[in-house]
Amino acid sequence: MTVFILRRVLQAILVLAITSLIVFLGVYAIGDPLEILLPADATMAERAQVAASLHLDQPLPLQYLNFVSSALQGDFGRSFVYNRPALEVIFERLPATLELVTTSLVLSLVIGLPLGLWAGMKPGSLTDESVMTGSILGFSLPNFWQGMMLIMIFSVWLGWLPSTGRGDTGTVLGLHTSYATWDGFVHLLLPALNLAMAQIALVIRLTRTGVQETMPLDFVKYARARGLSERRILFVHVLKTILIPIVTVLGIEFGSLIAFAVVTETIFAWPGVGKLIIDSINMLDRPVVVAYILVIVTMFILINLIVDVLYSLLDPRIRSRA
Amino acid sequence: MKLAKSAALAALLASTMLAPAWAQDLTIGRSSEQSSIDPQFSRTGNNQMTSTMFFDRLVNFDQNLQISAGLAVSWENDDPTTWTLHLREGVTFHDGSPFTADDVIFSLERADEVPNSPAPYTDMVSSLESMEKIDDLTVKIITNVPNPALLESIGRVFIVSKAATEGKASEDFATGAAIGTGPYVFDEWKPGETLTMHAYDGYWGEQPEFKDVEIRYISNDAARVAALLSGAVDVIDAVPPQDVQRLDGGEGTHVVSEASGRVIYLGLSMRFDQAPGVTDLNGAELAENPFKDPKVRKAISLMIDRDLIVDRILGGSGVPAGQLVPEVLGGYNPEIGYDTPDVAKAKELLTEAGYPEGFGLTVYSSNDRFPGDSDLAQALGQMLSRGGLKVNGVEALPYSVYSKAASAGDYGAFVFSLGSSTPTSAPNLQSLLHTYDKEAGKGAFNRARFASEAFDAALDEALQEFDEDTRLAKLRDATKIAFDQTPIVPLYWQKVHWGLKDGLDIEAGLSEQTLPQNVSSTK
Repeated sequence: MTVFILRRVLQAILVLAITSLIVFLGVYAIGDPLEILLPADATMAERAQVAASLHLDQPLPLQYLNFVSSALQGDFGRSFVYNRPALEVIFERLPATLELVTTSLVLSLVIGLPLGLWAGMKPGSLTDESVMTGSILGFSLPNFWQGMMLIMIFSVWLGWLPSTGRGDTGTVLGLHTSYATWDGFVHLLLPALNLAMAQIALVIRLTRTGVQETMPLDFVKYARARGLSERRILFVHVLKTILIPIVTVLGIEFGSLIAFAVVTETIFAWPGVGKLIIDSINMLDRPVVVAYILVIVTMFILINLIVDVLYSLLDPRIRSRA
Repeated sequence: MKLAKSAALAALLASTMLAPAWAQDLTIGRSSEQSSIDPQFSRTGNNQMTSTMFFDRLVNFDQNLQISAGLAVSWENDDPTTWTLHLREGVTFHDGSPFTADDVIFSLERADEVPNSPAPYTDMVSSLESMEKIDDLTVKIITNVPNPALLESIGRVFIVSKAATEGKASEDFATGAAIGTGPYVFDEWKPGETLTMHAYDGYWGEQPEFKDVEIRYISNDAARVAALLSGAVDVIDAVPPQDVQRLDGGEGTHVVSEASGRVIYLGLSMRFDQAPGVTDLNGAELAENPFKDPKVRKAISLMIDRDLIVDRILGGSGVPAGQLVPEVLGGYNPEIGYDTPDVAKAKELLTEAGYPEGFGLTVYSSNDRFPGDSDLAQALGQMLSRGGLKVNGVEALPYSVYSKAASAGDYGAFVFSLGSSTPTSAPNLQSLLHTYDKEAGKGAFNRARFASEAFDAALDEALQEFDEDTRLAKLRDATKIAFDQTPIVPLYWQKVHWGLKDGLDIEAGLSEQTLPQNVSSTK
């Protein structure tokens, strides 16, 4: 296990180095931050002043070398736009996104698993048909449109739920969270549901397929022969087996939801990192973009590692192989 | 039974969500966010808008950007380079300390020294040679060159408290250093989320009507409109043109529209001997640059139907333009109208210029800079081909990519925009139309590289003139000289829209600012 983790860490460092170079060059290739940052009536003296203070007047290789040497000391540079450390800007917004993504993953499990089990147990029935048709909608309707519809229905017409921002946040164990206040919680509902839609559909489909594949297997027959109740067979033995693909997929989804919750965050004006990265790309705020991508890559690497460890806990066969 | 339960739950939800909304007197949904609370950190429009809530300047800029007494009540020239400013008496900062000459000198000195500023106020204070405090309310200023428009320049710098700001960094402003003399006191900024403030009891000017104000940042257009419709916010800015009708006729909401000082224009690059994207009729690169001929530029202007663009592409959200600045700004020349389409005359001019059959060109544009920019480029393409040119294509790119290439001269015919933030057309004329001169720092945004000695001389003369009326007359003359040669093809001035709950009104203007102190109730 230790060798396995060590190898992963070495791979990770290589990946991070290459990513930083690609992103750095990529942002440089897109455009000139000065064109975006400077006001339209800026004089050339101001232009030169800004270029010098942001070190944009240096040759690109030198800029990259400077970046790498300070990054090795944990300094990812200061945002061009906010003049604050890039990592600080990112980590300030990350909790809001984590909260949104975790809530939507919980929602997708709480709603998706039972529906998937139900549909899987009664293939071809009316229940199965309607659950499956519903899940197609979850997949195929554009996320953006779903969000607008949720706002139209629950905020504009019914007036039940708020549609913008995070509301009042409270502090629990030193963390700012929407769960601490009722106002924060209701602000969380619509965006989390919007983000969860596609995940719910995904979980339903994975669970249903899993149940259908597992039910005819021998161990289920033996379990029945042992006289175990149908409920115990389904919720303990079958569920354990079908959870593996679900954990894998949700692990990957967790990463991409954090990185790309941007649509939901934009519609609901949620102050998370997704919105930050889009704004930063538009403003060519290179330090934030580079630091963000590196944070996300690190996160993906960690998630994959955790998923692998979880596997071995869920499935003893993998443990013995490792 | 079930129904009754869910109805009760719904009522509970509704009651709890409405409660915090009432805690504020006014909630504004804003499309853009400032990058700092430090009023001298950046002079982009967003930052100036936020700073105007908490800080004052030496002069006030009204809705048409014209100046009047602000923290300075009067000023006089002793000679062309010596000025005396008389400051307003009895003004206090939000911490209760009095406003004095020391604060003015400190603020003007700090303006070009804010570390890492992406848009510094350097140019605003570049003509200052020295400043001297005569007494607590009098400052003597020596300039390095005669600068008749001194107050228009230094008047744009926000005045901070010396005591509260000295030794502080820009980020400290969000945590206690934001001590101004403005109508509102800064409470809290949650980046990406909200900005809260309350009215300052000791404000020297007129007290704003709404005491507790919250600004929410909602960058998505549809979401901002939905927030107004659902009652979550009372006022929104930057209503997209396609939603104007719906909000204006809608239940409980209405729209306030204003022409802005932002001109959208078609630039025709004279920079190189060949214009990028310009070809002969067979698609081969043209040996010479046709845009160097004023007749060709005029012909292109005559092919464009500005009324049609405003009416069809923008849904009325524009005002056809024939020069740089709109009527309400100093230097606008009423003799210059906008060109109406005249294909026959255009053809005639093209023939005179040696292109009886026209030539080929590509129209370049951004696609995310202002509402309808890529549609505009398409329409221009059609109008130019109807006018007798061969349009090879229309290319619309994201602004982050487009702006760099446009400045590098990669485009022959390109759509761009320029906003006005000063009382007169002088700065815009200087940066857009003055001959490009890197050493002298003139023509910084002259991407088309228009060059006219007669215009440069006329503009320089106007900039040296101390008498206000003569100066404006000279600016009008300079504008005429330039536009007789069609230096750029002006298209229209943008209109901007605010959506408000019924019973509210906003004093909006050229500055495009959404300020809580300018919102009032009509009931």
